[in-house]
Amino acid sequence: MTKKNSSKKGQKHIKMSGRDATDTLATRQKESPSRKEKALSKFMLLAEDLVKVPFFRCQRCGECILSHTGFICSQRCPKRLRNGPCGGTGEGGSCEVYPERKCIWYLIYRRARRLKRIPLLNRIEKIHNWELEKTSAWLNVLKKRIEPPIFRMKKERK
Amino acid sequence: MRLREKIEDGRFLFTAELGPPKSSNGNVIRRKSAHFRNIVDGVNITDNQTAIVRLSSIAAAKILLEEGLEPVVQMTCRDRNRLAIQSDLLGMAALEIENVLCLTGDYQRFGNHAEAKGVFDLDSVQLIAAAKSLSEGYFLSGDKMKTPPALCIGGAANPFADPLEFRVLRLEKKIRAGASFIQTQPVYDLERFRYWMRLIREYGLHEKIAILAGVMPVKSSRALYHMEAEVPGITIPQKLIQRMENAADSKEEGVKLAVETIHQLKEIEGVRGIHLMPLMWESITPRIAKEAGLNHNANTKLDQRGEQI
Repeated sequence: MTKKNSSKKGQKHIKMSGRDATDTLATRQKESPSRKEKALSKFMLLAEDLVKVPFFRCQRCGECILSHTGFICSQRCPKRLRNGPCGGTGEGGSCEVYPERKCIWYLIYRRARRLKRIPLLNRIEKIHNWELEKTSAWLNVLKKRIEPPIFRMKKERK
Repeated sequence: MRLREKIEDGRFLFTAELGPPKSSNGNVIRRKSAHFRNIVDGVNITDNQTAIVRLSSIAAAKILLEEGLEPVVQMTCRDRNRLAIQSDLLGMAALEIENVLCLTGDYQRFGNHAEAKGVFDLDSVQLIAAAKSLSEGYFLSGDKMKTPPALCIGGAANPFADPLEFRVLRLEKKIRAGASFIQTQPVYDLERFRYWMRLIREYGLHEKIAILAGVMPVKSSRALYHMEAEVPGITIPQKLIQRMENAADSKEEGVKLAVETIHQLKEIEGVRGIHLMPLMWESITPRIAKEAGLNHNANTKLDQRGEQI
């Protein structure tokens, strides 16, 4: 485990405060979408599903945090937690609700460690905007409703 | 002195847990509260624990307040969306209850209403952030309010569940979100707890937050078996189960075990208090407190307490 290195420039977005989590204004839709946008959203969602559903078992929350969670969809968790595992993870990382499954956050942690993306798990994820449920996250990024995914991690110097 | 001031003061804390009844009989709470009076710094009221319907935790907290105890209301995300959470937090503060323990909540499938819809609108980290935001005078919508509630916010941590390292990161998130105390799952596996505390100290988290280690006294080895099998995220060393089984008087052994655990926990650097969970065995609290040397609140009231028991 590496010690977190928050003060470094370019990594500031990783260290989010509780204030950032409760700022629901950012993702709120000011006006209902136009007909054109709805059609575009439908098309984008279809395209997105073709990629995300088979590869990531996407649950279409519309507020994608896939890049923060080691490219495993956290919304497969029965409690739909966005900030880490609940206290019920069993021996060997089994899910509390469905013991035959692995806890999704257990898988995420392992993957993130392998990809050296643990600092991204340090983010306090925003409260989910349920208006964005079943909309295209890609379009939401383009419309600047949600933050763009983080693909490249800045390397930490030793 | 209220719990918030005691935390800031840095003194060793002792809290206990009380489960409200599965009926509307408030006298049960009054009766149980007698075991805690003048001993503990705060009493947690569970919020429909294990997803079984019980008397409302805020109502129970109000009764405790009238009885002269300091309640800590547990609040889960299972039953409330963001509207209900905020309104309950405001309601709590209006009743002068200021301590809230923010939890995710047990999944509804394990309770007596398995067919219920689980809400999980927020998760526990976001719940802490929401409570913090309210206490700073802002609703989640961004609107400002005139009289913000005074809240002392706590969270939970499980030092025994995998992935252990992630638990530390998550605790750090809870601190950043605004929690000022943490209560852990009951400690039976001391080795594992020590390891977890070492990680906590490595990150310097024990200086930022009051960590209260959970202790649950048990009456028999059966209770341990049950916990090992039924309660997710708890590990119990085989040695302890064996010890309870071989004991001539298992109740006596249970008390001894709890007292021993508390003594060992007190020695670990960074542990700022004990959270006792005498499930269905509230009457044992005074004895454990005495034997473990936790009744630091007021020695003069010992006789008076003797009358109450």
